[in-house]
Amino acid sequence: MSSEPSIFFSDVNERQGSFLRRTFVLGGLTGLGVLGLTARLGQLQVVQAQEYTTLATANQFNFRLVPPPRGIIRDRDGVIIAGNRPSFRVLVVRDETKDLDQTLDLLGQLIPDTLERRRGIIRDVNAAPRFSPVPVKSDLSWEEFAKVNLYANELPGVMADMHETRFYPHGGAFAHVVGYVAKVSDRDIKAVRDKGEEPSPLLYNPGFRIGRQGVEAALDEQLRGEAGGQRVEVDARGRVVGEDPENSRPAVPGKEVVLTLDADIQNRALEVFGEESGGCVVMDVRNGDILAMVSAPSFDPNLFVSGVPSNIYRAWADYERRPLLDKAIYGTFPPGSTFKMTTALALLDAGIDPKERVVCTGGYFFGNRTFRCWKRGGHGAMDMHNAIKNSCDTYFYHLCNRAGIDRIARVAEDLGFGHTYEIGIAGQSKGTVPSTKWKREYTEATSWDDDPTWYPGETLSVAIGQGALSVSALQLAVMASRLANGRKAVQPRLIRSVDGQPYTEAKFPDLPFSDEHLDIVRAGMAAVANDRTGTAYRASQLGLGDILMAGKTGTAQSRDYKAGESRGPRNAVWSRRDHALFVAFAPHDAPRYAIALIIQHAPAGGAADAAPKAREVMRVALLKDPDMRARIERPLPPEPESGPIEDEGAAPPPPEPTAAAPEPTPAEPTPVAPQDQTGPQPYLSEPQ
Amino acid sequence: MTASALTRPGERDRLSVKITQIDWRLLVLLCAIAGMGAAMLYSVAKGSWEPWAAKHLIRFAICLVIMLGLSMVNLKWWFHLAYPVYFLALLMLAAIEIPGLGYTAMGATRWLNLGVTRIQPSEIMKIALVLALARWYHGATANEARFHWKLIFPVLLIGAPFALVAHQPDLGSAMLLGLTGAAIMFAAGLSWKVIVAAGGAAVAGVWPFIQFVMHDYQRNRVLTFLHPEADPSGEGYQIMQSKIAMGSGGLLGKGFGLGSQSQLEFLPERHTDFIFAAVSEEFGFVGSFGMLLCYLGVILIALRIASLSHSHFGRLATAGVTATFALYVLINGAMVMGLAPVVGVPMPLMSNGGTVMLTVMIGFGLVMATRVHRYVELPKGHGLF
Repeated sequence: MSSEPSIFFSDVNERQGSFLRRTFVLGGLTGLGVLGLTARLGQLQVVQAQEYTTLATANQFNFRLVPPPRGIIRDRDGVIIAGNRPSFRVLVVRDETKDLDQTLDLLGQLIPDTLERRRGIIRDVNAAPRFSPVPVKSDLSWEEFAKVNLYANELPGVMADMHETRFYPHGGAFAHVVGYVAKVSDRDIKAVRDKGEEPSPLLYNPGFRIGRQGVEAALDEQLRGEAGGQRVEVDARGRVVGEDPENSRPAVPGKEVVLTLDADIQNRALEVFGEESGGCVVMDVRNGDILAMVSAPSFDPNLFVSGVPSNIYRAWADYERRPLLDKAIYGTFPPGSTFKMTTALALLDAGIDPKERVVCTGGYFFGNRTFRCWKRGGHGAMDMHNAIKNSCDTYFYHLCNRAGIDRIARVAEDLGFGHTYEIGIAGQSKGTVPSTKWKREYTEATSWDDDPTWYPGETLSVAIGQGALSVSALQLAVMASRLANGRKAVQPRLIRSVDGQPYTEAKFPDLPFSDEHLDIVRAGMAAVANDRTGTAYRASQLGLGDILMAGKTGTAQSRDYKAGESRGPRNAVWSRRDHALFVAFAPHDAPRYAIALIIQHAPAGGAADAAPKAREVMRVALLKDPDMRARIERPLPPEPESGPIEDEGAAPPPPEPTAAAPEPTPAEPTPVAPQDQTGPQPYLSEPQ
Repeated sequence: MTASALTRPGERDRLSVKITQIDWRLLVLLCAIAGMGAAMLYSVAKGSWEPWAAKHLIRFAICLVIMLGLSMVNLKWWFHLAYPVYFLALLMLAAIEIPGLGYTAMGATRWLNLGVTRIQPSEIMKIALVLALARWYHGATANEARFHWKLIFPVLLIGAPFALVAHQPDLGSAMLLGLTGAAIMFAAGLSWKVIVAAGGAAVAGVWPFIQFVMHDYQRNRVLTFLHPEADPSGEGYQIMQSKIAMGSGGLLGKGFGLGSQSQLEFLPERHTDFIFAAVSEEFGFVGSFGMLLCYLGVILIALRIASLSHSHFGRLATAGVTATFALYVLINGAMVMGLAPVVGVPMPLMSNGGTVMLTVMIGFGLVMATRVHRYVELPKGHGLF
């Protein structure tokens, strides 16, 4: 306690005066501060109120996309080819997890196999946009689903829900034609952007799948449906605290697509291929409906839905028989002897008498080389009927230049070669129908051969279905359908209806062939299958009473044979074997169904490999037809053409070709000739 | 040391007389603010007294009693205890640095462990610093206060606790201490030349301070404040959500208990630092401006009380407490409106939390004591007691 007055009054007053002034300043400063805050309040709450209200509403309400169920694809009888099935899945939202590692540890205790895929999961989750859920595992068991829900509180950012996933009940049978759905890739998004459209938010939905091939890709828009929106009130952690049904709208399911395919025929067609590679198309010759369109070997499209494991994908991609390629419409092959109907029609068109005989001595000398017939010893005197029945090459070598390549090409195009068809899916190849014009254009476009002149020697190769000629299984089926139909140039049709509306109206132009000419060719085909000396007699017996098949075998070289080289079909390396082909229609007297079947690099020839398989497929098609059933079950008139019963037996392949058997092995351009003479002739051995 | 000629000796020391000297306007405003705080805490708890609102009211009631009790304490006791309290507080701040005595939470050592309870010495220091500075200036001449070598003492009085608190680290409290000290020096009559020079130096020192002195999380807060959109889910998220809450309130607000931002928990720390944003959302511009006016009213009344005091100690102590309070309000307001970085400064009397409320109410106890004892003459001189 001190104190004498050490401060004078004047000083006290000075201190007080100064304090009062300074306090006034302090009060003023505070007032200014409050004024500043008020101004800011005014800016936020009056000037920008609208803007912030929008932001608050965006916080408060979320539009949850309600994905539409994808349209169902059915076969002509309503059997589901591509459907949807419910699946439980678990999703992770990175920005809602406290610690992704820890969350995955916990999740791994509930669903052990997420631990194995942990690295992939982390990559996916980190690549996803903010706050968008990433599916970590689908097809949870009920138990796993219940567990995840039970521990939901300990697993922030993890949720389990039920969604619909695409399902292909027939596995690989429809893999190529119907295609599959897969995850949306950046490329899909870019494709939409390139079209100048804003990608639909549906594309970013974690469960959404986009059509990738076949019908799924071609009709993706119709199958996709329209996403619904559910307006929900959410809290800061994204939990739904309320719903707003007035501002929600339900999803519109995708449209139902009905195809002309028949699941039974399709399944059987894939089945008959076994290990072999190739394509098969079955058509209704009356209206062009494609009843089966198969490429073998196939793959399981269900794997694409959740993502193909890379090792499986590699195996598919690396396998030399190319399961991922569509060999029914994309792969093209030389048609071999199955082309001889075309050549025959061209000959008839050129005015050649079908009765005119050509003596086959096993080959034909033309230019400076011998074109060999498949039968070394020769067929003897052949008219057109017998030339088709026996598949005699010499006959066609001899006469083809009287028709000329351009006439042959025109007939080929009339029969359906060299075109693609509006069947509603992409991926068809046009193939090649050589002509003088084609060669001119081809040589202009390539430097491979500078001589644009068409040489008559090249016509010889084309006449027996070799040379530059290449066709697809679909085109062969169209050809068989048109030959069988006789009147109309039927067009193949794959999609019957979308959402109950007919997809295409079938209006076919007339075929430019006379019945007379067609009858000759058809009789030849019937003889191939039903004459005891026909090239495919034993392999073509249906065993369905008086319903008989008419067909034509083909064995097409997949490469050039060098002089004196044995083709040794049975022990050759797969990729060096010949292709086996068979085209047919049935019943031969009142045709309904046509089939074309190609086996790539078959172990034997067309009659031995392709024909029995085609017969099995044709049987299913016929047996499914009630009219045909009625005809089969009707008591038989007493004179069947042959005794087919002992040949019956679906499972064991007929003990067909011995070396001596009438095995069709067509067209062997003798390698005596220098290569450049035959023009652009390397056979497309691989469908590219 | 003579009493006013207008009153009889001893008359002013009677309790019944003292009670009439309490500033009722200030009391009402404080109660209104705290009541509004309780209402908002009720609202942001989704219409529940638990866990915050009820406790807030009880706490305020206790603090109110403490404040009224302190307002009856003669100013001379405040005066005499100024230095001892200051040094005790400084001792406690230093003790925190001793391992075992300090209690660490969330990366900062701010609490002193006393076994039974933990106290936060920086809060005590907020009052103690004001008292000590007022005590020092009380004994200084106008010239010394203006510009004199002796000013080294008040600078040390401010600097020591500032350094210790900043080291904890508790940037918000350190800033409050420093600015409060500066405000007192200013009010005491610091030369304008020095003010301009110090202000210039402070501006020049901002960048090196941010660059070299600040901790990473503090620097991030500043950077986030400058670019809130760069980090919309972390630090910037708070500022952004606060602005959305306030802006979406509009002129009249969304209504009590109807603020989507606060009810759905988008607004972070809505019961503590960001409670003013909840007020703005639910009561709009009108409501939040009204709250600011309440605070301004408290500040102006307190400054008026300061100017009425007969003792320099009373003036400066009241001005100091007022400055602390005003700084709380302005910093918190600027922070929730996105004008300042997120520093942990609550809105006094509204935010949930006992320590700050106790500090503020003790401060107002001092203010009220100055008012009640405005005629008290205090001894001059530089003695410690």
